[in-house]
Amino acid sequence: MYDATYDTTQETAVTDVKIKAKDVQVYYADNHAIKDVSVEIEDKTVTAFIGPSGCGKSTFLRCINRMNDTIDICRVEGDILIDGDDIYDKRVDPVQLRAKVGMVFQKPNPFPKSIYDNIAYGPRIHGMARNKAELDEIVERALRRGAIWDEVKDRLQAPGTGLSGGQQQRLCIARAVATEPEVLLMDEPCSALDPIATAQVEELIDELRQNYAVVIVTHSMQQAARVSQKTAFFHLGHLVEYDDTSKIFTNPEDSRTESYITGRIG
Amino acid sequence: MTDASMDSAPTKGRLTTVDARTKKRNAAEKRFKAYGLTAILIGLFFLVVLAVSILRSGLPAFTQANVQVEFTLSQDEYDAAEGQMLKTKAYENLFIAALENQLEERGLEVDFDAAAIERLLGKTGGTIREFFLENPDRIGTPVTFDLAASSRVDGYLKGRVTRESVVDSRFLMVSDLDLVDALRDAGIITSGFNWNFITGSDSGVDNPGGAGIGVSVIGSFFMMLVVLALSLPIGVAASIYLEEFAPQNWFTDLIEVNISNLAAVPSIVFGILGLAVFIQFMHLPQSAPLVGGLVLTLMTLPTIIISTRASLKSVPPSIREAALGVGASKMQTVFHHVLPLAAPGILTGTIIGLAQALGETAPLLLIGMVGFIARAYPEGVASGFIDPNSAMPAQIYTWASRADPGFYEKAWGGIIILLIFLLTMNIIAIILRRRFERRW
Ligand SMILES: Nc1ncnc2c1ncn2[C@@H]1O[C@H](COP(=O)(O)OP(=O)(O)OP(=O)(O)O)[C@@H](O)[C@H]1O
Ligand SMILES: [Mg+2]
Repeated sequence: MYDATYDTTQETAVTDVKIKAKDVQVYYADNHAIKDVSVEIEDKTVTAFIGPSGCGKSTFLRCINRMNDTIDICRVEGDILIDGDDIYDKRVDPVQLRAKVGMVFQKPNPFPKSIYDNIAYGPRIHGMARNKAELDEIVERALRRGAIWDEVKDRLQAPGTGLSGGQQQRLCIARAVATEPEVLLMDEPCSALDPIATAQVEELIDELRQNYAVVIVTHSMQQAARVSQKTAFFHLGHLVEYDDTSKIFTNPEDSRTESYITGRIG
Repeated sequence: MTDASMDSAPTKGRLTTVDARTKKRNAAEKRFKAYGLTAILIGLFFLVVLAVSILRSGLPAFTQANVQVEFTLSQDEYDAAEGQMLKTKAYENLFIAALENQLEERGLEVDFDAAAIERLLGKTGGTIREFFLENPDRIGTPVTFDLAASSRVDGYLKGRVTRESVVDSRFLMVSDLDLVDALRDAGIITSGFNWNFITGSDSGVDNPGGAGIGVSVIGSFFMMLVVLALSLPIGVAASIYLEEFAPQNWFTDLIEVNISNLAAVPSIVFGILGLAVFIQFMHLPQSAPLVGGLVLTLMTLPTIIISTRASLKSVPPSIREAALGVGASKMQTVFHHVLPLAAPGILTGTIIGLAQALGETAPLLLIGMVGFIARAYPEGVASGFIDPNSAMPAQIYTWASRADPGFYEKAWGGIIILLIFLLTMNIIAIILRRRFERRW
């Protein structure tokens, strides 16, 4: 069992590193999708995952909140630690983990419920509000942070599925931040957004960095360069290079990274 | 001209002229539409034929020729009748005598005798006796009885029996028809709406006029309650487990295959299973709607499971991911998001299963829910489940197999009631489905 002293030593030891992955392997049946990935993702930092399509960015991202558990054929090996705790430990309940590690998916997937209920669902099941007024407040704050409040404030009871694709994605971001996660995983959150909404989301990501660790998968080099402090380049399941964003984009060590960011592979 | 230009240049041609290939495709599309329309029209035609023939044959069951006589039973007559061996026969004779008197008083200009009157009447004695047993204070006062005429007379009034078709027999003589005409003119034989058919119970094989479907409607109702209360929760729980929680391995595969196989098992097999397990082994009461419901539950479960699983599968996985992503447990995901979206499909499957169960006859016959069991109303809810009763299709089957053509008519009428019951069930399901759908 855990005792208090053990916990505190762990926490003081890892103030900087939020997520630590060691020798992670992921298999889809026989397909070895992630090979030997070790990475340390820092707290209060935006980390970008870049790489050509099919290289395993989404797969690795989904390991961090154990979303891969839901895929029967998927097998994860190696260790992933958040705040020093192994999330694949038997004692860890993935449901509790996912409350702590929020996720925004590649395709917008609002619930077929009202806009209000979309946001309120997470806080409700986690018992974050004691009454309706508090819940209203949480919903409004989340929608504001999702940069969508002004567009939906007059129709909170309208169905979330009736919004445009870009609005739906911002709704999903708002839904993810409503539960106040410590880590936010975003899988190409802006692929359905116009430049204005993208800018708003990027602003939001920058703001979230004050408190959270944000991991964002993106196909846009410019976006990675704009929002992230750290960048990881994946290729064919390998983590090829992981460094400060400025370094990756100006002076990459690996030739594959250079080819990718200059547009020669991918 | 167009040919030449097409030969010379590999262009797409003018948009305003339709090329041969497009024409061919359009023609194929038109043909296909025509096939589809024909198929629908053929289907509609048979539906109309079915509806017309059911209504034509079944509607007469809802009217009944009655003989109306006012008659007074004295205490002496009552005691004498109760002292006899054939009590109902004694009452019938008293009724015949009263009718005879009345005819003589009115001075009808036809020949008749007691035997002729007896042939005109249905089974009347039992009704009269029951009345006086229940209302002993009415003995000695005039009471007006409206009793069923015999099935032949009823048929004559409805046109089923004609003067040409009548062959003299102990049931009806041609000369009796003159008497019937006279009685009808005198207002003694009338034709009225037969409430007893809707509310009554089954009657003896020689008394089609007294047969009603009411008791077996109640039998069907209680059976459907059992089927609904068992098959819906069990079916939905099993489907949710198989679809959302169970690991994919040879064992769940085996279960899947067997559920599909169960759906194809003939219903009579379930009947014999029910007889062996529920009655012979578990000693549940025979002919009870409870047992019928249990047997039909076994039959309905595969239908509900298959359709529920299909509708659970059709819920997009992204919804599950979204719920899991905000930290909902698997169970919360299923009950808050997946199940509401699957509910309309589940309801559809349930109503199909229930409709099948409602129309099922063979398994009921095996566990003793034959038509002639439906003789008395259940005395309460519990008795509705465990007292011997029949169900509508079994009742209809029993009637259809009886010799008297009056029962044949009742069978068709029973089918109308069965269809109305089914329609009511479907309408309730549709209303419920609307409810669920509105909640997106
Ligand atoms: N559910 C799955 N079942 C089987 N194989 C999968 C599954 N999801 C991903 N894969 C495989 O894993 C590999 C990595 O896929 P992943 O989705 O992680 O790529 P990605 O880097 O996110 O690509 P993209 O940029 O196009 O989103 C691919 O080869 C893919 O075929
Ligand atoms: Mg991806």
